[in-house]
Amino acid sequence: MRTNWMRRQRLLGYVFIGPSMLGILVFFLIPAAYSFYLMFTNYKFMSPNVDFTGLDNINRLLHDDLFYKSLKNTIIFLLAVPVSVGLGFLVAVVLNEKLYLKKLLRGLYFMPYITSGVAVAFVWMLLFQPKQGPINGLLRSIGIDHPPGWLSTTTSSMYAIDIIWVWFMLGYNMIIYLAALQEVSPELMEAAKIDGARKSQVLRKIIWPLVSPTTFLLLVTGLIMSIKTFGIIQAITQGGPGNSTTILSLYVYQNAFRYYDMGYASTISWALFVIILLITAVQWIGQKKWVHY
Amino acid sequence: MELKRRMNGDVPMRLLLTVVMLLGAIIMIIPFIWMLTTSLKTPTEVFEYPIKWLPAHPTWDHHIKVWSGTKSFGTYYLNSLKIAIIGTVGATFISAFAAYGFSRIEFKGRNALFMVYLSMMMIPPQVLFVPKFIMFEWAGIYNTHWALILPGFFTIFGVFMIRQFFLSVPHEISESAFIDGAGHFRIFLRLILPLAKPALATLAIIDFSWQWNDYENALVFLIDEKLYTVPLGLQNFILENMIDYNGMMAAASAGIVPMILVFIIGQRFIIQGLTNSAVKG
Repeated sequence: MRTNWMRRQRLLGYVFIGPSMLGILVFFLIPAAYSFYLMFTNYKFMSPNVDFTGLDNINRLLHDDLFYKSLKNTIIFLLAVPVSVGLGFLVAVVLNEKLYLKKLLRGLYFMPYITSGVAVAFVWMLLFQPKQGPINGLLRSIGIDHPPGWLSTTTSSMYAIDIIWVWFMLGYNMIIYLAALQEVSPELMEAAKIDGARKSQVLRKIIWPLVSPTTFLLLVTGLIMSIKTFGIIQAITQGGPGNSTTILSLYVYQNAFRYYDMGYASTISWALFVIILLITAVQWIGQKKWVHY
Repeated sequence: MELKRRMNGDVPMRLLLTVVMLLGAIIMIIPFIWMLTTSLKTPTEVFEYPIKWLPAHPTWDHHIKVWSGTKSFGTYYLNSLKIAIIGTVGATFISAFAAYGFSRIEFKGRNALFMVYLSMMMIPPQVLFVPKFIMFEWAGIYNTHWALILPGFFTIFGVFMIRQFFLSVPHEISESAFIDGAGHFRIFLRLILPLAKPALATLAIIDFSWQWNDYENALVFLIDEKLYTVPLGLQNFILENMIDYNGMMAAASAGIVPMILVFIIGQRFIIQGLTNSAVKG
């Protein structure tokens, strides 16, 4: 009787998770396995013969200057994550104080995150226009005669993308911090004030350690989310000028769908996976070590 | 006396903080304001400095250009709406179904299965693009809207988010229904789903905004211009009108304004949903 019930429960469980599992199988697991296989082939779209080439692609990757360059660009791109987490924290702390128009302010800071796709990248492209754009117009008017070329020079383009990315992510980080701050007990904050601790000290010694699990979570999810993105970069610079904004995820896309070098593209995409795996591993280990509960 | 001083001291402080934060907030939304005003300006006014926040001779010409002709945004809108609406409805329902199985039916191996399920989130979409391209071509859905709609049905984040909500519904609620002889399907449809309306709305809004803004999948899987979604149509418009900055901003507005409306209407749900799945997860 009991085992019968259990078997029935199990069957029912599978019925409920079945459709979703099937989708994951078809659109995640099978393609992932296929891609893993492609890594060891010279598959090119439109070319009829596919050869098993063993570790050739991996060898090529390890000697590919553009791979290392895109890795470096990816790291510069990821710098936006800690910056936007830090700014998100500051905004959340102030919005948590007694303020007027709290809800409106929260909404305005959060707006870029939800409304912005590729469309807004084109707006930034014009804002950053080096000769006549409004940002450099402003910089010139306050006495900076040679403002940066932003997206148009190889040395500044990645940082210009970083600015867009910080702007985009800030609101999300703020929202999550605001929620975390609600969990900090008001008694603790009051006690700290009565003890004569100055505001900045309360912030540094009490609030910051208390929200460290949130900081950690935002850093990890932010890094993983960013490393998977290439849309805005493809839309406004296509990796240029001179590959200065080619990040890894974009490099995969270009190899696959511009050069149709799909075996090699698969190889780079697995390098991307390894990085995500490393970040996740750091999360597992670090959660125990660095986070104060 | 001390109390009174502190309360009086509070108001200027409060005002000052509000003003500072308001300035920051304005910087955050300046790109949107600049986009809208530029779309109404004449070409010579685009890069005038100091910036003219109100166009001297507002004109709708650029918006008319975006919305008319053979490459009207009307087509892109219909395509995007079709994909986002079918995708969102499917994703919400399938996620709720799976979330129920993962949270309210006890069976052996459930939690291990859920961990495997979650671990799929680590696979970057770049790994999947090439094999999906090959598979879709083989299945005949490459360069059709199904190439976006079908994968869009399955969102691991969605299952995770709804499961968080289902876990918070007390078990006593379904227990009494069990005693009355109801099965899992009836409890799911009649009891749990109605309770989960806010969570479902949250997922639907977030998912809709993702699908509406999705540029990368559309870029990979669509070639025909008549199938283009708004982000692709926008890119196309900009490539063909590289120096028409007003037109570019009118086109960008066409892409962004619907999301601003969705945001204003659904802000409460979005914030709650994102917070629940991050902090309590």
